Amino acid sequence: MDFDFSDDQEQLRDAVRKWVDKGYSFERHRAAVKAGGFSRAAYGEIAELGLCGLYIGEAHGGLGMGPVEGMVVMEELGRGIVLEPFAQTLIAGGVLSGYATPALQTEWLPKIASGEALVVLAQQERAARYRLDRCDATASASGSAWSLNGTKSIVPAGDQADAFIVPARVGDKIALFLVRRDATGVRTRGYGTQDGGRAAEVVFQNATASLITTDGLTALEHAVDIGIAACCAEAVGVMDKTMAITAEYLNTRKQFGVVISSFQALRHRAADMKMQLELARSMSYYASLKLNAPAPERRAAMARAKVQLGQSMRFVGQQAVQLHGGIGVTDEYIVSHYFKKLTQLELTYGDTLHHLGEVSARMEDTAGVFA
Amino acid sequence: MDLAFTPEEQQFRTEIRAWVRDNLPADISHKVHNALRLSRDDMQRWAKILGKKGWLGHAWPKQFGGPGWNSVQKHLFEEECALAGAPRVVPFGPVMVAPVIMAFGNAEQQQRFLPGIASGEVWWSQGYSEPGSGSDLASVKTRAERQGDKYIVNGQKTWTTLGQYGEWIFCLVRTSNEGKPQTGISFLLIDMKSPGVSVRPIVLLDGEAEVNEVFFDNVEVPAANLIGEENKGWTYAKHLLSHERTNIADVNRSKRELERLKRIAKAEGVYEDVRFRDEIARLEVEVVALEMLVLRVLAAEKSGKQSLDIAGLLKIRGSELQQRYAELMMLAAGPYAVPLVQEAMEAGWQGDHVGAAHCAPLASTYFNLRKTTIYGGSNEVQRNIVSQVVLG
Repeated sequence: MDFDFSDDQEQLRDAVRKWVDKGYSFERHRAAVKAGGFSRAAYGEIAELGLCGLYIGEAHGGLGMGPVEGMVVMEELGRGIVLEPFAQTLIAGGVLSGYATPALQTEWLPKIASGEALVVLAQQERAARYRLDRCDATASASGSAWSLNGTKSIVPAGDQADAFIVPARVGDKIALFLVRRDATGVRTRGYGTQDGGRAAEVVFQNATASLITTDGLTALEHAVDIGIAACCAEAVGVMDKTMAITAEYLNTRKQFGVVISSFQALRHRAADMKMQLELARSMSYYASLKLNAPAPERRAAMARAKVQLGQSMRFVGQQAVQLHGGIGVTDEYIVSHYFKKLTQLELTYGDTLHHLGEVSARMEDTAGVFA
Repeated sequence: MDLAFTPEEQQFRTEIRAWVRDNLPADISHKVHNALRLSRDDMQRWAKILGKKGWLGHAWPKQFGGPGWNSVQKHLFEEECALAGAPRVVPFGPVMVAPVIMAFGNAEQQQRFLPGIASGEVWWSQGYSEPGSGSDLASVKTRAERQGDKYIVNGQKTWTTLGQYGEWIFCLVRTSNEGKPQTGISFLLIDMKSPGVSVRPIVLLDGEAEVNEVFFDNVEVPAANLIGEENKGWTYAKHLLSHERTNIADVNRSKRELERLKRIAKAEGVYEDVRFRDEIARLEVEVVALEMLVLRVLAAEKSGKQSLDIAGLLKIRGSELQQRYAELMMLAAGPYAVPLVQEAMEAGWQGDHVGAAHCAPLASTYFNLRKTTIYGGSNEVQRNIVSQVVLG
């Protein structure tokens, strides 16, 4: 049992933090939001740091690293509320490496690792909410190719990405496909999201698709679990910075002739925020350290983690705004943007109630970190 | 980063588990698993079994006869004991006063007091709180006046847990009114059989007299019983309070009680009720999160590499979860938690239970555990401490 980071992991953290501090200022963030919520240039800079190949093997031009490295990077990106959907790159790298045919891997993994291609998961459907086994999109074989029909929602940077990983029903089973955005029969409609980022509706109409795996649900669950662990780590970074911003404000702002950090009601709230942050950090570690566990154990761990993270995110975000007072609800001041990022992360890949249901359904007689 | 215990640690756990299985008396673990009343004999019997093995002072360093375990080994030992249904070790001797005697007592005091603590023969009590000194310990008023080679002690201590069984008591006493309140305090060991010491039980809301008032009326205490220097007691008291901060979360007990909660919920027919079951699920997540928090603190202690500022959170969260499981158990029984029949909480009671035997102690436990967010520095005081970490 060991929760220290290795020297290499610390160096990775420093490199990402340096880029966020110097290259991704709040002004740049704001400009990116104004420009639509996704900056290919910023994504390119993340790729230049070599991060896009984190979960891709060296044979395909990646780094072959593991969940702890993924967690470290996501924490730092969260600290800077970076808009570009890097978690999607972790998902795409992990899923294609784990489930795609060798030909598909050879075609896509090097491009993902270099940052040339952005591949995102397009699983959300209107009737599914957070259920992964609910899928109305269908696919059928036509000769050696596949043809896919259906509509996916809230696809991260969906009108900018180069390809989608798409679950679709083949008979009564879910299979997983890769569809290029520029394939015939693909239409997208982009829009902004809570955090200032970008998403899109993606309509597939007899769209040309490549089969990743017929065991689609297994792969999709794995994809979403990579997403959940990434989400948890990102949230820890966001909360860490939210805490720091709030503490600084409390120690600066004066009312009634004194700094407001001298008021016990506010001090206790700050202590409660710290509690939620550290419980969240603990469960983010737990999620990442369980990401390579066998599927049932992994799924159970992600559900537990997302319940804690969801509770923590909501509390820390709401209280950060409250403790700032009026300035907290303005668009101009930075803290509202951290709050909105946290709000969106709770709703990503299953909210607190959804995952509470998952934990509830899986309960055994005993429970603990190792059970 | 690695979640797993090392093979050596797992082997250590296996050995502890086997030893506890072979040595923990079944009648005692039965009581613990069912929240039945534990007698003085139950507690001391287990203490002596541990003492004989050299594990009552399981956190003691080797030079004082302890096993010299590291933080992870201590945790594994505590976890195996808790899950097997061992009673909590009464901490006042082996966990609280012993480290102070080791760190600040002289050789004569160490030889005189430590063996009786290590073996479980001598029952120690804690004399910290006073009617006017709750969370604000530095305001103690019990006076000790030096007269030749002895102190004359006058005053009153309160909330003395299990003090009715106590043979010795360690006390914070005022030896000076000069300077700040903290500077005039001394740390004194007092034989509770001394003339002038009287103990009066305080019946608590659960009907039990778990705590006591202890009165000192011109009690003569040999000066040889002073630990360290006069007026330096506050330093020693802080040393004491800084010990065993991880176990204060008592997460292992919460894991065991979560299992009991599920058994009770099943028996009462609410486990399949989604509204109720989700509450258990939420507690399960919170217990796992607390366990992760504890493991982070332990790992940091073991490696010595990280300095963590989170130990102060453990008491707050641990106590909240203890109250939560007790609350849910009571709610699971619903109306059948209303009867409060003291005899029904005794092992082997032959009377007719209302509802089921497992319902009998639920309200009592719920009431009893309201103390956890108050003692050991109330959770509000703990939040003051945590806020200092966050805000300076």
